[in-house]
Amino acid sequence: MRVVIAEDSVLLREGLTQLLEKNGLEVAGSCEDADDLLLKVRSYSPDVAIVDVRLPPTHNDEGLRAALEIRARHPDVGVLVLSQYVEVGLAMRLLADSAEGAGYLLKDRISDVEEFVSAVRRVADGGSAIDPTIVSTLLSRQRDDDPLAALTPREHEVLELMAEGRSNQGIADKLVLSVRAVEKYVSSIFGKLGLPSSGGDSRRVLAVLLYLRS
Amino acid sequence: MATSETLSANASVPSRSEPDRSDVRSLTSLRRGLWLFVLAAAAGAVAMTLANDGLEGLETPYGLRFLIGLAFAGSGLYAWARRPENRLGPLMTAVGCIYLLAQILSQAHASTLFTAGIWISDAWVVVFVAFLLAFPDGRINARFDLVVIGMFALMAFPLELAWLLFWTTGGSPENALAVWPNPALADNVDSAQRALVMFASVVLAITLARRWLLASPPLRRALVPILVGSVGILLSSVLLGLDKFQIEFPTARWAVLVAYIAIPLVVLGGILRSRLARSTVGDLFVELRADPSPTELREALARTLRDPSLSLAYWLPQFRSWSDLDGRPVELPAEGGDRAATMIDRKGELVAALVHDPALVGEPELLDAVSAAAGIAIENGRLHVELRARLEELRGSRSRIIEAGQKERQRLERNLHDGAQQRLIALSLELSLLEQELGPHADAGLRLAQARREIATSLGELREVARGIHPAVVSGHGLAVALEQLTARAPVPVRLTVAIEERLPEQVEVAAYYLVSESLANVTKHSGASSVSVGVSRANDQAVIEVMDDGVGGADTERGTGLRGLADRVEALGGRLRVWSPNGGGTRVRAEIPCAS
Repeated sequence: MRVVIAEDSVLLREGLTQLLEKNGLEVAGSCEDADDLLLKVRSYSPDVAIVDVRLPPTHNDEGLRAALEIRARHPDVGVLVLSQYVEVGLAMRLLADSAEGAGYLLKDRISDVEEFVSAVRRVADGGSAIDPTIVSTLLSRQRDDDPLAALTPREHEVLELMAEGRSNQGIADKLVLSVRAVEKYVSSIFGKLGLPSSGGDSRRVLAVLLYLRS
Repeated sequence: MATSETLSANASVPSRSEPDRSDVRSLTSLRRGLWLFVLAAAAGAVAMTLANDGLEGLETPYGLRFLIGLAFAGSGLYAWARRPENRLGPLMTAVGCIYLLAQILSQAHASTLFTAGIWISDAWVVVFVAFLLAFPDGRINARFDLVVIGMFALMAFPLELAWLLFWTTGGSPENALAVWPNPALADNVDSAQRALVMFASVVLAITLARRWLLASPPLRRALVPILVGSVGILLSSVLLGLDKFQIEFPTARWAVLVAYIAIPLVVLGGILRSRLARSTVGDLFVELRADPSPTELREALARTLRDPSLSLAYWLPQFRSWSDLDGRPVELPAEGGDRAATMIDRKGELVAALVHDPALVGEPELLDAVSAAAGIAIENGRLHVELRARLEELRGSRSRIIEAGQKERQRLERNLHDGAQQRLIALSLELSLLEQELGPHADAGLRLAQARREIATSLGELREVARGIHPAVVSGHGLAVALEQLTARAPVPVRLTVAIEERLPEQVEVAAYYLVSESLANVTKHSGASSVSVGVSRANDQAVIEVMDDGVGGADTERGTGLRGLADRVEALGGRLRVWSPNGGGTRVRAEIPCAS
């Protein structure tokens, strides 16, 4: 599994490279700005690009724009955006019309090596990784008449992990349940929220996020 | 711009040199005497022509030449009385009087008088040339002009005298100065005189034509007399040259006569027209009584001065600069450009300047009258503009302070982001790599995990601090993205509508963000509202930000720093913050911030 990294802090760039290589991923290239990143994605065709949202020269939205460009031009390359602030609006801009091969995590998450590496692998495989903070912000959003109130605490947990982009297997592992049980919870949730239970893991991520956001 | 045309609205301003009263009286009686002389001389000239040649004498250009003197002296005396400060009046009077005097004397029978008449017969030309060169402000400004006048003077006085020493009439009245009668020598001097006049005329015509061509179009109209004058002089000098070879052009003589009579009449017409314009100053008084706004005042002045392009500039002493009607600094036009400026003082202090068509410089009485009439209104206008300028300055400094503050906060946030936050993350990563190496069950590993959690907490706190210092998301990704997170985290349901696609100026976005953030905080703290709506839209180059809740209302903009600080921020950007908060009727905060793109 090949990775390219765009991160302007040398410390973090080196740290990330070390972390990924120790955990069996190949870092094909790393760079500190968006132009270089696009060049590396073109030349190395990696499985996933890890992109800091704030890149030189202005440290405004260069990183996000590069991420969106990779999503548009190289749909087979997963994009994992790292940021020191998580914003619902940014997540929605990144996902736009598909959560496939897309991730958006708080930068702090890299220190939880196992979780982080699995998120990188998920995105590289065409899945999604949405930061728990975003999901919890959306879940805790105040609503006039809240359909989430109808969910049981267990269903709530499943919904949260589902929105983060985990597969049924992943949810089952995390909650120490059988995959079968998770499937039952998922269909119950979709029924209560009135969502069509369609497609793969990434599709339901977007459906759930859009539902929670509206 | 202190020219001789600098005016004062108040006649008692000490800077203005005011002639002594007794001087004024003696000048008036001098002019009366000259009038008598001019009329008598003209009548005498007609009488002599009739006596010598009968009625036919008046049908030739020679017989009508007295009209030149009459026109010059009459117009000159009138101009002199109207504009005593301008030397054109006395110059024209001198042209006419010398002309008439020479006419009378040269027809005298007594040989001394006759000789005197002959000697001064060309002296008027010298004064006339001076008049042309001094037009229209009555001053000779170029040294070269003196050279031109000198050439004519050389011909009219020393050479004429030399000629008189050799010239003899051979009859009665005899030339009283004929010391060495020598017709051949006299003829030579005469030829030299004519050659000199022709040369000087060409130089004069070129000088005047150049002056006319260099003038701005409106000024050219006012300079018509000098054009006619130079044509007249050129023509007469050519005729003079041809006369030497006994070639005559009667039509050309008529043309010269008409040209010479026309010049003083054109000048007179100009003065009369500006007298007429002065009568509209009365209308100006009536208009000004209605206490006009600065714009209305400008329009009224433009109408009265018949100059639609007229503008007013106010002198603001504490800024030491000129200002337009909106309090913005302006420059006065440079001297000799296509605009002219006339200063207006009140009580000895510079108040304003009229910036106008340079042709108006030729109508000083009109400018004087208008300035005097508009004096109070202009002073009021200046106070108005001064206030605006102060407000403008205040707004400018306030927005600079806020901008500087924001830049500083942005810098701090960047430092936190690039420094402490990155290092903590790197440290945490390092710990977790160590942890991995130690294996899952090592005691040290558990402690490392604990340390990582501490770092995560610090990072969370640092993130909040950084966000409080400067909302980097706003600068990086715009208002819509930033507001989405803000409203999603609000403890009451918020309906967010952002009807702006494009990015706004950063200052406006940051102000809007703080406005919504502070308003939502107030909603949570005080209002007890069950729902809030946040709207951002754009209308007429203004960003409109509105936060409405259904809470208890009664918010006070003056109490507490929250809303007051927001109002400051919005006003510093030239915007306006309004708060409606009736008791029990919810609170509505609306900001309009200009954002011309």
